Amino acid sequence: MIPAAFPRSVAILLLRFAIWIAPHDTLDWGRGMLNELHHVEGNWSALIWAVGGAGVLAKHAVLALILPGSHRRTVSSASELFAKELPMRKATLTATAACIAASLLFFLAPVFRQAFQVSLAQWHDVFHVDQRWLGRGPDPELQALAQKAEQNHDAEALAFVAIRTENPSEAARLADEAVHLDANLTWVYAAVAVQYSYLSQIDRWVTDLKKYDPQNALPYFIVAEKIDIDAVSPKTNRPVFAKGIASGAESHENPIWQSAMAAAFLSPKLDTYLDRVKALDRKVLLRYHVDDPFQAMTDGYSWWRGLPSYSAWDSSRYAQSVFEAGEALEARGDREGALQKYSAAARFGQMMGSTDTFWVPRVAQEAYKRLASLSLQSANKEQSQLYAALADQADQTQKEEMVSRRNRFIGNEVSSWNAFLVRVSGVALLFSFGLLLVCAAGVIVRGKSLRLTALRPSPLTLGIGFTGALGTLLASAVLYVSYRPYSEIFQTFIRKGEDASLSDLASFLGATQIPLGADSFLGVYGAAYEFWGIVTVLCVLVLSFAVFLHFRHRRPAAASAV
Amino acid sequence: MKTPRLSPQTLRVLERFIERPTAWRYGYELSRETGLKSGTLYPILMRLAKFSLLETKWVTTEDGVPPRHTYRLTPKGAELARAQQATSRSTARAAARARRPAFSGGKA
Repeated sequence: MIPAAFPRSVAILLLRFAIWIAPHDTLDWGRGMLNELHHVEGNWSALIWAVGGAGVLAKHAVLALILPGSHRRTVSSASELFAKELPMRKATLTATAACIAASLLFFLAPVFRQAFQVSLAQWHDVFHVDQRWLGRGPDPELQALAQKAEQNHDAEALAFVAIRTENPSEAARLADEAVHLDANLTWVYAAVAVQYSYLSQIDRWVTDLKKYDPQNALPYFIVAEKIDIDAVSPKTNRPVFAKGIASGAESHENPIWQSAMAAAFLSPKLDTYLDRVKALDRKVLLRYHVDDPFQAMTDGYSWWRGLPSYSAWDSSRYAQSVFEAGEALEARGDREGALQKYSAAARFGQMMGSTDTFWVPRVAQEAYKRLASLSLQSANKEQSQLYAALADQADQTQKEEMVSRRNRFIGNEVSSWNAFLVRVSGVALLFSFGLLLVCAAGVIVRGKSLRLTALRPSPLTLGIGFTGALGTLLASAVLYVSYRPYSEIFQTFIRKGEDASLSDLASFLGATQIPLGADSFLGVYGAAYEFWGIVTVLCVLVLSFAVFLHFRHRRPAAASAV
Repeated sequence: MKTPRLSPQTLRVLERFIERPTAWRYGYELSRETGLKSGTLYPILMRLAKFSLLETKWVTTEDGVPPRHTYRLTPKGAELARAQQATSRSTARAAARARRPAFSGGKA
């Protein structure tokens, strides 16, 4: 229940505040409105009266801010003007200073500095629209790390940079240097090759990888992908994002592709070296005190899982040819031969299942269905049921994988929400800080001095400054609270090697790179153009206003000269 | 000397003032008489004062109650108000004549 006098109290406060920010030549009018409140009948009528009056004073305050000459002071001295408002001025100044100090204290915390860096990631694509599809460009921190690693002959750090750099030739050079220094890092060839399968070094690297890890299917996938890319865009070094989906006709018929995929099918294991990448990340991040969570995230954590981008598609196509061969054998009455083909496909599907791909569970499911059908034809009911159960399991795996893939792509809801808060608070922090700077600059320009005693901010400037300081503090607090859990995930990974929540961190970091106003990576272009459109319009308005003020001040001067 | 733009609301305020040209009027009283809210009334009063058509004065009415801001037309303001009143009356008469049916005029 609202007390009856509450609206009248609010009305008094509202008008007092309006008087506080009002320009001096309207003070009498403001006090007149305030004193009339005692005669207004009804508490709610008093509030309506105050709202109207406060609106009038606020309008004059804004006009005085924009057109300072239109509200000249008529008091004899500044001290007279401020004498009555001293307690409120002092309180506001103290509160503003306290907010600024508290905001600066946040910056002392490494977690907050990291959060602030993360909140700035959304601006990258806005300021580098032309590089949007060309990757993030040279990373100075990564370049510095590469230099240090070369000076120290640190093979692991060289491998770390090779996996991350977005310059393919630099990645190849660093990978070669790392392996030259430490042959145990030969797997780094695979980690680089899955990103740049079109590199000229690939053939040599694949030979080395086969020797290094003979049972692994990964080198064969790299060979198959290189053929796919050559079929789409022969003899051109196209970055991964520019690859189209191959029609498949040429590469599929290529005997080298066939033999590579056959070898991949027969390989006893598939290792994408993701565990080794993680272990390497931890060592290098700790050794070089790298405090950037983006550096802990490679694509392998969130999307391709260390496989070449065509592998799943290649596997599916090759599996289809295996099924067709099985069908041909069945048609000839060679059930045993067909059984072997389907079993090979099922085994391959199981092996690939661990890589979280989308197509491969379908291969396994199809293979088990065919095996179930064959077993039924051989009157082996139990075996048929077993295969049917395995087919269902593969189906379930596929569904789970679809959900998981969708979540990885769009990020889970909590991560998306936290990323949103980080982006909003980052923007609010910059905006509030900008307000503070503008107020400070205005006060210094008007006071024509840098001495604190000479600086006399007007009540309105003080109000805006306080709003800016409060905004800075609130934005800092929200930024800190939203980012802290992800900092802990990052720190726990580096210190203890726990990687269970890394996918959350990857989703979060992925979402923080999308500018506000864009709902996904696909909307980044639109958001960037909107942003620059608004900036252009604002600049034109400011320029027009400056020209208007210039001529406005010139006219009276010219008149007085006449 | 320029005169402020005379909107219908301004005319309503001037009419109230001209009824008792020498009397000092309160803001709330004017608001009730003209039916204008404070957000409309005060800009009008402020504009009139800016053009020296209105004078203001602080008046203490009773003990314990803050002084009230009161308003009255200046001679120039009263002159303008009367001129406006005359103009609007003649305009109204002309409009009434134009609306009258032409059964007795030169149309026959």
